Amino acid sequence: MNVSMARIRGVFIATLLGLTLAGCGYNTIPTYEEQAKAKWADVQNNYQRRADLIPNLVATVQGYAKQEREVLTAVVEARAKATQVKLDVSQLTDPVKVKQFQDAQNQLSGALGRLLAVSENYPDLKSNQNFLALQSQLEGTENRITVARRDYIEAVRAYNTELRTFPGVLWASTFFRSNKPMAEFAASENADKPPQVKF
Amino acid sequence: MKVGRTPSAHGRRGWRLAIVFTALLCTITTALSLNLPSLSGRVVDQANIVQPSTRNAIEQKLADLETKSGIQLVVATVPSLEGQEIEPYANELFRNWKLGEKTKNNGVLLLVAPNERRVRIEVGYGLEGTLTDALSKVIIANAMTPRFKAGDFGDGISRGVDDIITVLTTDASEWQQRPSLRLDNQQTADPMSWILVAALIALITLLIVSPGFRWFFLNVVLNILISSGRSSRSGGFSGGGSFSGRGGSSGGGGASGSW
Repeated sequence: MNVSMARIRGVFIATLLGLTLAGCGYNTIPTYEEQAKAKWADVQNNYQRRADLIPNLVATVQGYAKQEREVLTAVVEARAKATQVKLDVSQLTDPVKVKQFQDAQNQLSGALGRLLAVSENYPDLKSNQNFLALQSQLEGTENRITVARRDYIEAVRAYNTELRTFPGVLWASTFFRSNKPMAEFAASENADKPPQVKF
Repeated sequence: MKVGRTPSAHGRRGWRLAIVFTALLCTITTALSLNLPSLSGRVVDQANIVQPSTRNAIEQKLADLETKSGIQLVVATVPSLEGQEIEPYANELFRNWKLGEKTKNNGVLLLVAPNERRVRIEVGYGLEGTLTDALSKVIIANAMTPRFKAGDFGDGISRGVDDIITVLTTDASEWQQRPSLRLDNQQTADPMSWILVAALIALITLLIVSPGFRWFFLNVVLNILISSGRSSRSGGFSGGGSFSGRGGSSGGGGASGSW
């Protein structure tokens, strides 16, 4: 009687301990981490989408504005560089890597902005259907990048806060000691304002 | 006995009050960040630029669209963007209203800001492949802005809605087969309810059996109370009339225009 009672008690305590762990936020850190990583995938997808649009855009502009070689090569080079700088999800905690990625994308934004500004001077280009479609796609992509970045920044903020505040800090200092805060995104000249691709 | 009990009870009540108050404060401050109109119907004409007859006709079309395809298309006009660009404003409004079904994200928001002379079609994640940025731009440029320029908002919006519906319904078989593109939100916790029931039984038994556990339990309850107060901040939209969003989201797809 006594032995079986103790056993039942043991099972209860084990189940309860598990539930308590969940209730006290044991799951919160991994959940937030996965959310931030998913948001990062969105950011990266949208940058990739932009990179995919550029060859087509360059080809179209080239047909009307061959003499703008300097601006065109700047875009092509910036794109090549931006696609080379890859940022793995495991590197999100590394501020240097994050900054490199960001700088490369910002450089591409700048080059792209100049290209679109230059194309203002070519009325034939501006009325080209293909160019108009590309331009609206590029606008949409820039807007998606802004949204994805905002979502990612928010997810990182939630994750980092969880690591530093009670009760998350208890888990962070025991079971999740290898979890480091993710690097803040933004903190560059015009990061808070998206590059304007307007006409 | 009585004298000894009162101060401790007071202290506990004070604690509880403090927690509730803090939670409330958090809720209030986040709610105040942007003054968004509420989703009172399929046409939310805050700027008062659409004639009632036109408005009824548009609402009928939008309702038909939803019964036919499940797509929630909503028209909103606002007197002011509150100093924001139309893109972030539209995105925030879309996410606040949660247009479209949660698993399909098939909502569309047509936002007109007559005073800023800006218009935007904000497309939910699930419809980005059908109502593309380029198509949205074409609809704005061809059907809407020329009429807005002439001051005929009702007709412009009506034509824009017609075009959007045409784009969304011409290829119905295709988008119906499209797998839900995104599941941003956590799946519903159905198995959790069973675990909760089991937990409750275990808890009550333990509370009776072990006196040492009771102290521990109090801490747990306090913790859960605090965290639930925190999560209630992200609470969903509570319906406006008979029509409400169904949990969809948008990632900034669509196009904007001005006139």
